[in-house]
Amino acid sequence: MAHLTQSPKPAIYLDHNATTPLDPEVIARLSAWALDWGNPSSIHQAGRGPKARLRDARASVARMIGANPLEVIFTSCGSESNNTALVGALSALKASGDKRRHVLASSLEHPSVKRTLEHLSEQGYEVEFVPANRSGLMRVEDFRARIRSGETALVSCMLVNNETGVVQPVKEIAELAHAANALMHTDAVQALGKMPVDLRDLGVDYASFAGHKFYAVRGAAVLFVKRSSPFQPLIFGGAQERHRRGGTENTLAIASLGYMCTRVGEVPERAKHMASLRDHFEARVLAEIEAVSITGGESPRVGSTSSLLIPGTDGETLLMSLDMEGVQVSTGAACSSGSPEPSPVLLAMGLTREEAQCSLRVGVGWGNTVGEIDSFVEILKKVVTRLRDLRGWKSGSSSESSADASTKGRVV
Amino acid sequence: MTGFVDRSPIGPDGRRRRVLVAMSGGVDSSVAAALLVEQGYDVVGVTMQVWDYTSCDIEEGNGTCCSSLDVDDARSVADRFGFSFYVANCEAKFKASVIDPFVEGYLKGQTPLPCVNCNTFLKFDHLITRMKELDCDFLATGHYAKIEPGIDGRPTIVTSDDSWKDQTYFLFTIDPEVVPRLMFPIGHLNKAEVRKIAEEKGLVVARKKDSTGICFVGNMGYSNFIASQVSADKLVGGNIRLHPTGEIVGEHAGIHHFTYGQRKGLGLATRKDRSESEAPLFVLRIDPETRDVWVGDESYLFSKTVQVREPRFLGAFEPGERLKVKIRYAHKGAYGRVLKREDGNLEVEFEEPVRAVTPGQAAVFYRDSQLVGGGWIP
Repeated sequence: MAHLTQSPKPAIYLDHNATTPLDPEVIARLSAWALDWGNPSSIHQAGRGPKARLRDARASVARMIGANPLEVIFTSCGSESNNTALVGALSALKASGDKRRHVLASSLEHPSVKRTLEHLSEQGYEVEFVPANRSGLMRVEDFRARIRSGETALVSCMLVNNETGVVQPVKEIAELAHAANALMHTDAVQALGKMPVDLRDLGVDYASFAGHKFYAVRGAAVLFVKRSSPFQPLIFGGAQERHRRGGTENTLAIASLGYMCTRVGEVPERAKHMASLRDHFEARVLAEIEAVSITGGESPRVGSTSSLLIPGTDGETLLMSLDMEGVQVSTGAACSSGSPEPSPVLLAMGLTREEAQCSLRVGVGWGNTVGEIDSFVEILKKVVTRLRDLRGWKSGSSSESSADASTKGRVV
Repeated sequence: MTGFVDRSPIGPDGRRRRVLVAMSGGVDSSVAAALLVEQGYDVVGVTMQVWDYTSCDIEEGNGTCCSSLDVDDARSVADRFGFSFYVANCEAKFKASVIDPFVEGYLKGQTPLPCVNCNTFLKFDHLITRMKELDCDFLATGHYAKIEPGIDGRPTIVTSDDSWKDQTYFLFTIDPEVVPRLMFPIGHLNKAEVRKIAEEKGLVVARKKDSTGICFVGNMGYSNFIASQVSADKLVGGNIRLHPTGEIVGEHAGIHHFTYGQRKGLGLATRKDRSESEAPLFVLRIDPETRDVWVGDESYLFSKTVQVREPRFLGAFEPGERLKVKIRYAHKGAYGRVLKREDGNLEVEFEEPVRAVTPGQAAVFYRDSQLVGGGWIP
């Protein structure tokens, strides 16, 4: 973008579930961390600095998530952590002669869990996805009804849903899994920085985290493997990560993730700030834009995420219009070309294609302000009104929303 | 939307007018966007993702349209000038309104013209909607065509200054109501000039190969493409018959291998049995019912009349008027009277016979350089 001739409007970034900006303190420390450029595996002097960075980061991460440093494996991304956890657990079981081939997972999982399990089902595993409902909250009973003692080897359920922010009952599902002698994995990528995470309390065997959802440099992620739980590496190589993940460590990104974990004490206050912005946003939108509903709004959620259903619009156009006004939000998981398809998570919750297509995901972050939220609401009102006018959308034209519209009795 | 439209880059309120530019990733639409930026418009680029190009054997970015590498090229042009750029997912609509009719046409013995449907249902329908939704004043494309005031002052579509590249043939279904909102920024240029501008502006697409043929078919060829889209039982072979006797002179592997006026690839082994002096054989007619492909002397390919269905007009038209008519894109055009029939369809009576009137193609009418309208050849 060397030759900008058209100046973009000042940006309001509200897509923190996709990725977070680097924390200013991270940026300030990058050059210092970069000076430790040596290979941490080297025995000579150049290896000492990076080795220390790794050790410190591992200790900070462990403290933040309630783990022992030996249980922390650094990987490159959340997807790698998820792939490694699932494949690593099951192949270790198989290698030990275990005959169980049944795997249970929620139907709201990220593609890096879903596609890995689909791949495993081609390798002879019986993979069962537990259905969800419109609340977006997985029910423990639905897992209980499907788990089979002596057959179920592994259960996977995410901690915080990326689309709705709904916090899943992972602790209860883990107890259920362990009662059936099965292993438990949770994709906790969306949880860091949004809520306190204590893996000892959750009682899971495996958990995935990613630095770039937590204001750190992209390229560092974490796989937690409980000390006694079976594990085989996915990436074979040198002795890095105690032979559990080959490949020279990305010490710069890992140092940034470790640093952010030292700020664990800020999380409750930050979460409160984000929740107040999110609640203010939802209150305004519900009062000022007709027929909007909040997907998963009745379920326990982290305070940073809002999934809106706005009848009379479509997410793709909404996204483009908002972007031209400087507002950066999301309609769901974007595919590689940048052309959105309806979110599989919303479809799995039972929303129709049409509903999923008029959905908008707002992800508030640590740095947002109430002024930004108010500007966003004004822009959203303007854009929604234009799209609805062009489509001839009228109050009550969608049967889903007619009840809301008539009780409120407002016209936009 | 009809009537006079002020097209200057700055509106009376001092706001820059916003133009949605349909960008394929090729040199024409890239230069179109660049020219609009230079003229001071507020440009927004959009590429329609229409087809999963990984499912066919096209070499990516090599003379195709809107494949993923082409999207990257369009995006790099947008980045170069710093305007907003988006990808619109149109795969379902493209399949329903372009691919499916294309395949059906071949199964009916026609030679379809998918580019017109792409213009009708995607560029000048879907993108017109997008233009309004994104608060744009105009929609621009990289077509070789021009917009000029007609006799009544209304904007009309006229042929490009590059008569070789002129693409007005594909534009006859455009709703006249939207013409005032269209822009064809490169219509006054020829291809060499467009490439020169691209070079001067340092656009990555400056030396990119021209797209030729139909974007989604690529190198695999029409008949292989059809075969990849339908079950084998729909592609049954039949006889090749000689006109006018009806004598069976050969067999074929399916009518989708043929087009009217085709001479090569008939696979007639009997040719050697014929005397040297005998004229070559051409495809005269394809009968989808019997699956017979009729061949014969070239003289039978000529006709003085053409039926025209589902006529569309962009401006005033007098039944019986003498107009120039093109019956395929590469046709130079021939003069004839365009008559209106009782059923609402048209018939063209040419002054001189035209060669190989082909079902599935369009007959497009011109008054001098002005695009008047057109319709489908049954």
